[in-house]
Amino acid sequence: MADVTEIFSAPLTFNWTLSYRCNFVCEHCYSRDEECPELETQDIKRIVDVLVEQQVPFINFGGGEPLIRKDLYEVAEYATKRGLNVSMNTNGWLLDDAAAQRLKDAGFKSVGISIDSSEASLHDAFRNMPGSYEKAVRGLDALRKVGLKSTMSSVISRINYQAYRELLDLARKHGVDQLYLHNFKCSGRGLKNREELDLSPEEWQAFYIEALTVKRQTDDLKISFDDPVIASLPEYQEKTMVKGSSCGKLSLHLRPNGDITPCGFIPVVVGNILTEDFETIWFDSPVLKAMRAKEATGKCSGCSAFDDCQGGCTARAFATTGDFNQPDPHCWK
Amino acid sequence: MNKPLRNPEIVWRVEKRRQAEVLKALEAGQDVDDSGTVILLQSGMMHQLNLVGGLIWQQCDGEQTLAAIAGGLAKEFSVEQTDVESDVAEFVNDLTMRGWLING
Ligand code: SF4
Ligand code: SF4
Repeated sequence: MADVTEIFSAPLTFNWTLSYRCNFVCEHCYSRDEECPELETQDIKRIVDVLVEQQVPFINFGGGEPLIRKDLYEVAEYATKRGLNVSMNTNGWLLDDAAAQRLKDAGFKSVGISIDSSEASLHDAFRNMPGSYEKAVRGLDALRKVGLKSTMSSVISRINYQAYRELLDLARKHGVDQLYLHNFKCSGRGLKNREELDLSPEEWQAFYIEALTVKRQTDDLKISFDDPVIASLPEYQEKTMVKGSSCGKLSLHLRPNGDITPCGFIPVVVGNILTEDFETIWFDSPVLKAMRAKEATGKCSGCSAFDDCQGGCTARAFATTGDFNQPDPHCWK
Repeated sequence: MNKPLRNPEIVWRVEKRRQAEVLKALEAGQDVDDSGTVILLQSGMMHQLNLVGGLIWQQCDGEQTLAAIAGGLAKEFSVEQTDVESDVAEFVNDLTMRGWLING
């Protein structure tokens, strides 16, 4: 596909941060220093109306901790009734049986819980929250009880990259539908704690080669990686809708005040959904255009993988160099 | 009489700007058979339907018979219904085999 906007008149997904507030302070979190005014419920519903008008099919609430907003259920129900497919990611702390039932009643299609290690003490230490592992697992069980599809998100880092198979087992044990092994982002606390947490490019390569093989051999659990840098591996055979990062192409991110950024990890505002015309942003934003047409720079120029990999994760390149076009710092080539 | 219905598991949308461009190209006499105007999303995969396929797809609401769909399409393109009936049937049959339509 030459440029996604030749076909797509809007992204398929909006990742939506209703609030940056959170009851946790995780070691890798990108958003702990973010401050942004939040909208009233009626303005949030106005955003839903814009998304419906633009035919955006999916929204995923993240943040911040979505369950901190008391109107989450009301907003989700409104969006669901208007035909949107709603999901969210939570740390699970507030997800008891009653909350699970309310999420189900509000029409959520699936709910993702972050679990970084199958060892409770490691997870709790990483999340700086004693008891968080137990509550996260309880959350998965609560979702299962009410019949709401659950997913599990684990950010791969030094604390878990050698023990990710145990995360698969944990997911199986608690009836998880899909496990996301997220790539480590160098934003916010992730950048500050990068030395302790991030793997070296060679370690990433070894991890992905093995994990892709495990994925191929696994048929009782869906495993997903969202890291564009793996497209350079011969083990990677998936057909994806777009090459490279999907941000700005298949998805966009909403900040709590309605500002749009390409993704949660790229703090560049391209417009505001409540005060500006969405189509102008989507079709004409110079930032989005630049992300959709990256130029091979540095070691990417001349790299045979560039067509598939597009320089890897744009957010990571931008966070570490300030330039979208630089090679992903995780690249092992 | 069969009344085909879109599989509710499939998320889809008409790409309006694209559709308008394809219609313009068609009027200008260009071949638009390979130009997608409707996208279908199913378990992480995307499929595209061309102008005619997309128009048929939009009519598959479980209320209309194949004949009615063919009739609507014939009117849209100012041709005889009998000229499009077999194409509509073939298309609906194909999508039914793929599981995208029910009761085709
Ligand atoms: S990673 Fe999630 S749970 Fe942890 S501090 Fe950030 S927003 Fe809160
Ligand atoms: S050098 Fe650039 S294009 Fe090649 S694999 Fe690395 S990031 Fe991708």
